[in-house]
Amino acid sequence: MTALRDAYITGTSAILPGAPVGNDQIEDHIGRICGRGSLLGRRALRWNGVKTRHYALDTQGAATDSNAGMCAKAVLGALDDARLGRGDLGYLAAATTQGDYLVPGHGVTVHGELGGGPLEVASFQSVCGSSLMAAKAAWLNIRAGEHQVAAACAGEFSSRWFQPAFYEGTTLVDAKGRLAAEADYLRFTLSDGAGAIIVEPAPRADRLSLKIDFIDVVSLAGDFEPCMWAGAPIATRADAAGVWSHTGPAAAHKAGAVALLQDFELLKRVIRAWVGVYLKKVDEGRIVPAAVDWLLCHYSAQSLRDELMSLLERTAGAIPVEKWFSNLPWVGNVGSASIWIMLDEFMRSGRLARGQKVLCVVPESGRSLVGFMMLEAV
Amino acid sequence: MDASPSTGNDVSDVLRRLAVVFAEFEGRLAQTPLIRKLTRGRFTIQDYAAFLIGLRQQVKEGAQWMSRAASNIDDEHLELRSILMRHAVTEHRDFRLLEADYVAAGGTLGEIRGAEKNIGSEALSAWMFHEASRPNPFGLLGAMWIIEGLGQIKALEWGRLVQSRLGLPDEAVRFLVYHGENDAEHIKEFETMLALVLPDPAVARRIVRTAEVTARLYALQIEEIMP
Repeated sequence: MTALRDAYITGTSAILPGAPVGNDQIEDHIGRICGRGSLLGRRALRWNGVKTRHYALDTQGAATDSNAGMCAKAVLGALDDARLGRGDLGYLAAATTQGDYLVPGHGVTVHGELGGGPLEVASFQSVCGSSLMAAKAAWLNIRAGEHQVAAACAGEFSSRWFQPAFYEGTTLVDAKGRLAAEADYLRFTLSDGAGAIIVEPAPRADRLSLKIDFIDVVSLAGDFEPCMWAGAPIATRADAAGVWSHTGPAAAHKAGAVALLQDFELLKRVIRAWVGVYLKKVDEGRIVPAAVDWLLCHYSAQSLRDELMSLLERTAGAIPVEKWFSNLPWVGNVGSASIWIMLDEFMRSGRLARGQKVLCVVPESGRSLVGFMMLEAV
Repeated sequence: MDASPSTGNDVSDVLRRLAVVFAEFEGRLAQTPLIRKLTRGRFTIQDYAAFLIGLRQQVKEGAQWMSRAASNIDDEHLELRSILMRHAVTEHRDFRLLEADYVAAGGTLGEIRGAEKNIGSEALSAWMFHEASRPNPFGLLGAMWIIEGLGQIKALEWGRLVQSRLGLPDEAVRFLVYHGENDAEHIKEFETMLALVLPDPAVARRIVRTAEVTARLYALQIEEIMP
């Protein structure tokens, strides 16, 4: 058996559609439920700390792009950043939470938008963590010598799922026209965009590349029920045999089973579980907090409550806030694409120096999953 | 002492391991039939009655094993002995509150006091008293981390879920809700206790091991609750 080779991120790219949208203009793009502004929105924004974001919906509700379209642009951007072209690409791993089609998969849809000759593709559908699932596939394909140039992309077009038609006439809206908190919170949290990385078996000679030390994706779905989901009503979401496809689209819509939903109570438990997984990695020596120079976490420090920050500090697991890099407040939370959008801005920020270690952490509340990627600047 | 991870005898190393044990314990609890019913909205008043009966034994015995442990702590560790005795005093009447909740939820005192321990409770009880009977039973700090963590973190969560699912009045959920209210000092006080017996690699290992066993037996106790 041939030895595995090292693999490096040699290009990154971020696609953020349209102009930044401020907190006061959100509902101009995603619409107003029953014609009225949301009461919960302000609170959601205080909690998630997002100031501006991007939408692929204009103020008339018309789409300016597609999920796969943004992903294809991100792949081309990342290839260009690596000084490569479409013809060099051999493997494409595509991630998303909700793709353009129900069928076929996101990978082939992105290839369709990308055009060009035959490619090996793979689709990864989960929530934020799908980004690292795709990255792991790209990394291992290069490591195993299957391909010379691999791309991992991730994209979200969440805003179209937040339009009033997804909620009006369903049990998620009460008699006074107020949308259930489980649904409304996400409307003010998630936005659109795509990102991509290129992985190759050699670093760039002319500038810094990122050697991938490891990618670990840990699912705790055996312990927890769906925490962020679409496809089942709130009350029966844990029953996979009772999902929307059994009742048909019209009845499912009426039952509030089509919209994207979040369980806040469960989220608190899931956050503790993520911290538990992280501390286990620290305990096993897989992650050495003192050796991490930069932390790119798809979660804001302010959202981890004081009690958890204090736990991290007291267990020698904390990474000082000065080492956190995040662009979440001004690009928004773009789900699976966030980590690539963050990495792209970080690489362009000039902060990184040769030899430094970058830890990327991608928690996914969907069904309590968390991913870690350790990079080293070479 | 070297304070880097994996030395295994420093306060923060032990705390980290205990945090991992607790996180995995929470996951195991979430999978038990009773807690699944609670989180899936299928919890009934009969489940709540069985839950309180199942919890009572351990709550009642908590102060007792803590007192026994205190009596087995030598003169070199008087401060820890004091803390354990104070803990025991604070908690030794809590099971009365739990009984009152049971009655407020529609049960009778006779039922809850006369109920038999379930298999998990039997195992947990035997384990706690066995450990508490050893000289300098410092491993029990790991058991306290699990059991107090339940009180600080899980009880309030469960109490609120029970109350909202069953529409019970405040006086029927006081034990669960009351226990969850003072969590700020929890870690700090625990850190103080650990510092009284650490660094010591053997003690560090024993604390983590005792936490693991206690967590498993506690989960068994919840698994065995059947209305």
